Amino acid sequence: MWRRASTWAAEAAAVFAKDWRCELRTRYALNTLALFAFTTMVVVSVSLGPLGTSADLGVSVLPVLLWLILLFAAAAGLPRAFVEEEETHTATALRLAATPSALYCGKLAYGVTLILALELLVAPVYAAMVTLSIHSPGLFVAALAAGGFGIAAGSTLVAAIISQAQGRSTLFSVLAFPVLLPPLLLVVELTRNAVAGHPAGVALSQLLLYDGAITIFGLMLFPLIWNP
Amino acid sequence: MKTLLAWLLWLWVAVVLWAAFFYAPLAAGFIGQSSRILFFHVPLSWTAFVAFIGAAVWSGLYLVRRQPDDDRAAAVAVELGFVFCVLATVTGALWARIMWGAYWNWDPRQISIILVLIFYGAYLALRGAIEDDEKRARLAAAYALIGIVVTPFFFFIVPRITFSLHPDSVINSRGKIEMESRMVQVLLASFVGDAALFFWMHNLRRRILALRDRRAEGESAVESKSWS
Repeated sequence: MWRRASTWAAEAAAVFAKDWRCELRTRYALNTLALFAFTTMVVVSVSLGPLGTSADLGVSVLPVLLWLILLFAAAAGLPRAFVEEEETHTATALRLAATPSALYCGKLAYGVTLILALELLVAPVYAAMVTLSIHSPGLFVAALAAGGFGIAAGSTLVAAIISQAQGRSTLFSVLAFPVLLPPLLLVVELTRNAVAGHPAGVALSQLLLYDGAITIFGLMLFPLIWNP
Repeated sequence: MKTLLAWLLWLWVAVVLWAAFFYAPLAAGFIGQSSRILFFHVPLSWTAFVAFIGAAVWSGLYLVRRQPDDDRAAAVAVELGFVFCVLATVTGALWARIMWGAYWNWDPRQISIILVLIFYGAYLALRGAIEDDEKRARLAAAYALIGIVVTPFFFFIVPRITFSLHPDSVINSRGKIEMESRMVQVLLASFVGDAALFFWMHNLRRRILALRDRRAEGESAVESKSWS
């Protein structure tokens, strides 16, 4: 029993380590994501003009723009985790090497760390560029973490589906949108509360509920998606 | 027997159409004849709901039993449910133009129905993007089940975004049906008609798809024979 649990964890860790090793060799995803996010931030900041937004408008609009930037950057990078396995024909080897649930956890950990790294780069620069003053920084960080996790978990599941279909890149946004909309709406609400200095409210618990539900359900469903 | 049932269905629908305009009274507080849309709009959306629940059940059954017929049933239920859902949206928008002054004003009900349409639109796009029968069935079923996990979150979130002008549900929040009895009769009769229409079309389409699959199998068998 213990032995099985430890091989499971070792498999998940191996998938996670393999994905990061491949990523750091080329830095393809990180570079694309960071450049994509940076370009969009410049577009947003320039369009808002040198004076930016008024304080009231800023609270309602700036969190939305931040999450749109993060969402589209994530949509450009996260599906690669599975699409690349199909493109380089390594998916079959992966099917033989790892239990599906361990594979899912490894890929999920990779997606979550990737999006957290992206947020670490983007959020401070964005806040500086559009002069976003945050009244509860603790809540802001919690929103970034919980929202990033939800988006990564939903994307990982959808990526596993679309990697086996044709027209993958366009299909990802179509399929991911309805799945990622609940965490997106919740995290925008949460970020607004953090910026305005309001308490977290029910949005935080509902977002954590989404994160938990999609992860557990993903663990149950993933073997069916992955194995023919 | 089958022809008799089909004729009974047509007769039933014709009687409902007549009753909606000449038997049922008008509801108080609605402009002109606009309350009569109730007898079409509400049964259409209920039938769409039945169709999507059916699609989820057949998807789950497919993943358990792996019978191609369950997959065909789920796919046809989504196709037909989509049509019923579009009709419910259009009749709702026509009514909104009369009562609220605009076809579309992002009432919570309108937000929810658009999200439902987007989700099942994505489901149909996914089916269109996969050639292999087994793979299409498996991935589409998984995606339909993800929808069951994600959609309940909208019931928490959407009411917080905006308030609703939509009339009470037929069974209102006090748990009662407060409607003139002749209206209830026509409404329920119309729902029975729509549901019967759905199951009749579902059965036809499912059998057509089964025949088509069988013919394709036969053709490929003949082809492989002539090659050997």
